[in-house]
Amino acid sequence: MFIFDQLKRDDKGLRYLAITMFVGCVILCVGLWYIQIVSAREYRENLHSQVLRTVRVPAVRGKIVDRNGTPIADNRPIYNLDLYLADLSPAFRSNYTRLKKELQPVPERRAMVQRWARFRAITNITGRVSSWLDRPIQIAETDFNRHWNTVRALPLPIMRDLTRSQIARFAEKPQSIRGLDLRVEALRIYPHGSTAAHLLGYMTRDDSSVENEDAYFHYRLPDWKGRSGLERMFDRQLRGLAGTKSIMVNYLGYRMDETFLRDPDPGGNVMLSIDLRIQKIAEHALRSTEFGDQVRGAVVVMDPRNGDVLAMASAPTYNPQAFTRPISYHSWTNYYSNADLKPLVNRCTQHQFHPGSIFKIITALAALETGQLNPAEQMWNEGSYRPHPSSRPVRDLAPQGWYDLRRAFIKSSNVYFIQHGVKPGVRDMMVKIGRKLHLGEATYVLMDQVTKRNYQEVGGRFPKLDQLNARWRHGDTVQLSIGQGPVSVTPLQMAVMISAIANGGHVLWPRMVMEVAPNDPESSVKRQWIPPARVRDHLGVSEPHLKILHEIMQADVEDIDDGTGWRAYTPGFPIGGKTGTAQIEKNGRIVDQTTWFASFGPVQSPRYSIVVMVESGQSGGSTCAPVAGRIYKELVKLEELDRQNLVRRAN
Amino acid sequence: MEPLEQPRNNKRIPIDWSVMGAVLCLMVLGFMFIYSARFATEGEERALIHRFAGRQIIWYIIGSIAMITMCLMDYRIMSRYSYVAYWGAIILLILVLIPVIGSEKFGARRWIDFGFFSLQPSEFAKLAFILALASFLSRPHDELRLTGNFGKALGMMALPFLLVLIEPDLGSALVLIPVGLAMMYAGGIPPRYLRRLVGGASIIILLIVVDVVLAPPQWRFPIQEYQRRRLLVYFDRPASAFAPPGATQAELRRAADLKRNHSYNVRQALISVGSGGLTGTGWLKGKQNSLGYLPRAVAHNDFIFSVLAEEIGFIGSIVVIGLYAVLLFNGIRIAAQARDRLGRLVAVGVVALLFSHVFINIGMNIRLMPVTGVPLPLLSYGGSSTLVTMLAIGLLQNVHMHRRVH
Repeated sequence: MFIFDQLKRDDKGLRYLAITMFVGCVILCVGLWYIQIVSAREYRENLHSQVLRTVRVPAVRGKIVDRNGTPIADNRPIYNLDLYLADLSPAFRSNYTRLKKELQPVPERRAMVQRWARFRAITNITGRVSSWLDRPIQIAETDFNRHWNTVRALPLPIMRDLTRSQIARFAEKPQSIRGLDLRVEALRIYPHGSTAAHLLGYMTRDDSSVENEDAYFHYRLPDWKGRSGLERMFDRQLRGLAGTKSIMVNYLGYRMDETFLRDPDPGGNVMLSIDLRIQKIAEHALRSTEFGDQVRGAVVVMDPRNGDVLAMASAPTYNPQAFTRPISYHSWTNYYSNADLKPLVNRCTQHQFHPGSIFKIITALAALETGQLNPAEQMWNEGSYRPHPSSRPVRDLAPQGWYDLRRAFIKSSNVYFIQHGVKPGVRDMMVKIGRKLHLGEATYVLMDQVTKRNYQEVGGRFPKLDQLNARWRHGDTVQLSIGQGPVSVTPLQMAVMISAIANGGHVLWPRMVMEVAPNDPESSVKRQWIPPARVRDHLGVSEPHLKILHEIMQADVEDIDDGTGWRAYTPGFPIGGKTGTAQIEKNGRIVDQTTWFASFGPVQSPRYSIVVMVESGQSGGSTCAPVAGRIYKELVKLEELDRQNLVRRAN
Repeated sequence: MEPLEQPRNNKRIPIDWSVMGAVLCLMVLGFMFIYSARFATEGEERALIHRFAGRQIIWYIIGSIAMITMCLMDYRIMSRYSYVAYWGAIILLILVLIPVIGSEKFGARRWIDFGFFSLQPSEFAKLAFILALASFLSRPHDELRLTGNFGKALGMMALPFLLVLIEPDLGSALVLIPVGLAMMYAGGIPPRYLRRLVGGASIIILLIVVDVVLAPPQWRFPIQEYQRRRLLVYFDRPASAFAPPGATQAELRRAADLKRNHSYNVRQALISVGSGGLTGTGWLKGKQNSLGYLPRAVAHNDFIFSVLAEEIGFIGSIVVIGLYAVLLFNGIRIAAQARDRLGRLVAVGVVALLFSHVFINIGMNIRLMPVTGVPLPLLSYGGSSTLVTMLAIGLLQNVHMHRRVH
């Protein structure tokens, strides 16, 4: 050491002083080494935990569009005015100094005076903003204090959804009040109101993290989660991935700086096979019954060529927009949870009904297939059928007389079809055809993609072949032949059935979603495309028998004298149909009835199959057939319009 | 008294350049980090940044002039007025206790406010004490063996110590003890006196500390409550120690808050130093300081080392300690080469003063020492401290200029 060399050997005093100082310096160095090197990580973590706050920033939700690209669920930018509290801290302080001078608070009340001072600064600014932008602003003191105590680093929202003129006024002098900032937020909107509400479903507030997202956040910005319908089914795709924002806060907890650790990844868009125009026609037609808006019913419009669901209407309905705001207790108890109306239930898929007479199509087909039915053979109808000498007779609404298949079908004779249904082999054939149509099973058109649970659809009820054993009774066969008893179905299943009859025996998977595409076309996420005309099964029945059915179904609509479905008649557009009225029994008494009309058209080359169901209707012919007729007439007009547009464009 | 000699080499300025270099480096660092400490503030306070950093430059200039002035007159002549300086300082220390004259800040009367500058007599008292004690101890060796003289030396130390203690300014008072002891030891007071003194004092201090920290209130040595809290924080006593015995839940909660508040500075200083790591965050980029976690009131003075350690890391901290080491060990060398015992004692006093400040201040930034308001020489913001440090270094240079020439 250069110092020691220069110290005289006998100068012990200075030597010891030098050694003491040297040891002191070494102690400091070791202390620093321990804190800055050994424990650096721990202190850095301490620093981060006191300095950084993470915020979950939800992604913009994807759109839901119809087959022509018209949005049914969309987003609208709304402009909100935010107030950054960090910029207000000088005002807080000066207010407090003034108040302190005025009030001379004792130390215990200082915190209260500080709260006043802060709130005064806020109301001062909101007052100025509200006169500037010409809209009252109300902020409750408790709300502000909660915000200040819990999410101080986030701006205080003071005005939501500014109008154009307010935005313009703000943009003129954005700096005139410090701390104000305009923030754009995406708001879910349903531009067509309640149209297709049951398909879209609704959303509720949910800020929780989903898979592939960070799990821990200090703060979460409001986000939504689909609770039913497509919003739920494709929630994961629509929702995208939330981003993470990291806010640096100062010692008072105010925001100083922010950076995005991860940008939110906007959700993908869902394209439906639904044609919004047809959907609107169907919904309008459904409301045209004698019940008006109170109607409880369903309409399914399907393309029998490829299984595309073109419209799916259920009534009564609701507006999904209503769920983005708080719902009043009154409307919830009186409307949404009403046990009769059940507006939240999608009657096309979520409720099962006896098909009634429309099931006679299958009875006829089964009898024809087994060779037990000669269409031309006349059969005497007594007016009632007694399955067992001791049991109650099944009444026939059709009068006594001689019946062949055509007359029995269009007059919907119960006795005729029961007598054929109980013939040997017909029962088994009915069940076989029913199973080929996958009655009693879900169509999986609205399956939850995440849980793979089919909660949005019921499978209905239909016997299996192995259930035709000793426990199966004669009466069951009787009931099955006329679509009562052991069979109940959803309107969508009936649309699949009618489509299979119409298209020559192909049982199709109904398709509602055509594709799910990522928002960014160049994204690595693959486009999901669901192909049309996926065949689920073949009926395996002979062509001539189907032809016979087509003829008698057409006759049901076009026979002016006897046809029960004549109200569906559409000039220039031949339709085949079958009406139905199913009784709902409770404790041996008929309490209600479900009326049906299942149809397709045009008969020669079917393009549409339409199933209408109305609860408590008068009869299938008088309540449901007109609804279908209205839809067909509008469809004819729509096709004409499309053709003209096509010609105009070609020219 | 020997005849005065002119320095031999008239062309070269005969000061110690390595000391000067270290001082200059520390000044640059001081300016940089006072600037950084004030950089984070906003609005009206932001404007003060230039006032603070600018003022510190002015103090460096004034300090440098003072240092040069100190070199102009031979320390042996100066020592003739050392008792005048000493008693002058004592008078100032008494004056500052008088409410009209001394201005009160944070519950202590330490400053005499002149408007543009508030004088801190305790700082000047340190210097005057060094000069006076040096000239007292420079008497012949044999006289120092007399207990009476030892007592007088102790008295010279005790008078300013007590006056500073009742301001109260425990830190500045305590600094006088190592300075006095080092000078007495180097001056030739028999080590056995000193051993007894140190041993006795240590036992008394230890007893007081144990008493203050652990004993029930009625048995406690009466010291300032804030000092007791600092000790409690230093020894990391549980929150219940902050509350009176038999406290209710609410009182205990309040005590816990109190502990958090009082340990806040220390904790934040530690986080600052620790998060600096090896290389630091870079100048003006320290988060602890810029976001205000390191309290603004102390960041630029008592806790300037935390700001520095966060921004230039372990390497920078070692450089700073190295610069001080250059200063201190050259000071020892100057003491060894001093022409006479007076010079040697003055140099030892200055070195002990600087070392005590450095050790206590850095130690308190890294929780080796309890918090006391001792500035870090040349780095902490403050006129009195800078001026006195520069005067002390001037004295050191003076001794060096008149050294024995081999």
